[in-house]
Amino acid sequence: MEQKIIINVGRQLGSGGHDIGRMLALDFNAKYYDREILNLAAKESGLSEKIFEENDEKRGFFRGLLNIGSPHVSGYKPDLSQETLFQFQSDAIRKAATKDSCVFVGRCADYVLRDFKNAVNIFVTASMPYRIEQIMNKQRMNRDQAKKFIEQKESRRAAYYNYYTGKKWGAAESYDLCVDSSVLGIVETEKLIAEFIRKKFAK
Amino acid sequence: MLTDMTDNKQAALELGTKPVRLLLWQYALPAIVAMLASSLYNIIDRAMIGQIVGPEAIAGLGITFPFMNLSAAFGAAVGVGSSACISVKLGQQDYKVAENLLGNTVTLNLIIGFLFMVVSLIFLDPILRFFGASDATLPYAREFMIVILLGNMVTHMYFGMNAVLRAAGKPRHAMYATLFTVAMNIILVFAFVWWFRWGIRGAALATITSQSLALCWQLWIFSDKKELLHFKRGIYKLKKDLVKNIISIGISPFLMNATSCLIVIFMNNQFVHYGGDMAVGAYSIANSVVMVFFMFVMGVNQGMQPIVGYNYGAEKYDRMLRCLWLTIACATVFLLVGWTLSMLFPRQIARIFTTDPTLLDLSARGIKLDMLVFFVVGSQAAITHFFQSIGKVKVSIFLSLSRQLFLLLPMAFVFPLFWDLDGVWYSMPASDFGSFAMTIPMLLWYMKKFKNYGTEDNH
Repeated sequence: MEQKIIINVGRQLGSGGHDIGRMLALDFNAKYYDREILNLAAKESGLSEKIFEENDEKRGFFRGLLNIGSPHVSGYKPDLSQETLFQFQSDAIRKAATKDSCVFVGRCADYVLRDFKNAVNIFVTASMPYRIEQIMNKQRMNRDQAKKFIEQKESRRAAYYNYYTGKKWGAAESYDLCVDSSVLGIVETEKLIAEFIRKKFAK
Repeated sequence: MLTDMTDNKQAALELGTKPVRLLLWQYALPAIVAMLASSLYNIIDRAMIGQIVGPEAIAGLGITFPFMNLSAAFGAAVGVGSSACISVKLGQQDYKVAENLLGNTVTLNLIIGFLFMVVSLIFLDPILRFFGASDATLPYAREFMIVILLGNMVTHMYFGMNAVLRAAGKPRHAMYATLFTVAMNIILVFAFVWWFRWGIRGAALATITSQSLALCWQLWIFSDKKELLHFKRGIYKLKKDLVKNIISIGISPFLMNATSCLIVIFMNNQFVHYGGDMAVGAYSIANSVVMVFFMFVMGVNQGMQPIVGYNYGAEKYDRMLRCLWLTIACATVFLLVGWTLSMLFPRQIARIFTTDPTLLDLSARGIKLDMLVFFVVGSQAAITHFFQSIGKVKVSIFLSLSRQLFLLLPMAFVFPLFWDLDGVWYSMPASDFGSFAMTIPMLLWYMKKFKNYGTEDNH
């Protein structure tokens, strides 16, 4: 496949979106960016990665205060508001997407890259019990903790996505393909998605 | 637009390399000019009213001060919120939503401005009473507020559009609008109050008229179809998620502003209770004097914010701290000048506002007591702002609340029980010093963290 392709993977917590993304990157010989986006953003802005980590896929109630002050320039307001950090991050995403084939996991990449004709948007879900199981194994938590962890982190993720994109996180119409990974398992689901992508770009 | 963006990025990256002194100068100067301009207007407004309309009028004006600030707090909530949202959308080249935000900002400002006007006009007298108006000052406060409230939608629109101008990459235009309003206001106050003798109503009319003129210019800018953001059909209908986003940003600035309104209301009431109307007048005069100097400090702080923020983010802690020290030094030196003037010539300063002997005595004493340890305020404000700039929002909120809510409020309640009217005045330097004493250890504690970090990995 000569053509450069961009695969954006949205994912529910514990749905295996991360692993599926990694496998897709191998299949399509693409660069893989999940948390790596933060590193890109840090390089783009000259700021440290830590700042981006602290603000990764969440919003803070009082952080609105950071938008007061006198923005002297548009686009890049010189402050540490989450809005400014998002701007750096999305510029980094765009830059990477013009260079190579990429897989982006989360960080509103589907919205940021909405004008890229060569992008395909995937959303991976899974049943709640399956996800709880996954998180229990990964984070070494008991069932209740895992459930709480998922709910908290996901509502933050949704608020983040909805705020920046003006769309609804996980709403089917935003994506080319939505799939429940707990039905076929991660490996088979990835194969299905890869097949879908191949067909899309074969057209 | 694209070259514009790279320029902006260059500007952001420069924050990490250019000499700190130059940066602070470059960023603080426009902020200082804007701040000083508005406090100059404030002084002239009050001086006119005090000299020509009389001492009760200036007390009445003091009563309306938190009222106007409350209205401004609503305006700022929408302004800060929508400008943040618009710059996000412009950054993503999502012009359709940015335009929608512009339209929604207009609608939101009109609705909030209208509701605030109606509710305030209906309950005007009880509100003013609650704010501390007496039989003597109520007529003045009422006369002033009726005009201000009738123009409330203009005021909200004017501030809202100014915020949008900034977000739309026209900070210069926003600055011109500010300076124009101030200049126009000064001219009109002279005309209405001094020449036509329209009384306190004239001052309110001057404010609203100059804002209306500036608003016309702003609307004209946004009507230009060549502008990236401009008015068109279909953008005004409120969209739930856009409004939600605007408010989610605007709510915390609103809460901060509203808190300081409550404090001023409480202080006004304490002054009325222990010293009568003239004491409120004196507080209003002393406040104007404090504001002139404090606005300078705020200007420097605003200039510091991007520099400190970026260098913190880039882990260039030495540059960050150098900028903080420089800010503290500038602010403190300036406040020392203000402090010396106020301690040596309080009477002459008060004389700018009034000729009434009672008010003159009270104001002169008030200025001296209020500003007793004024020079510590510079570092207190700079450090509070510093924490905000580096994203430690909660620390910064705690520090500014501690000054107002936890120190000033109880002290202003307890001190007059012992020292009567003087006690109310004492509470101000006491809380200034108290909050200064709190910010310093807070900063030192954080500095230790930076130092440790710096030695752990040397890059």
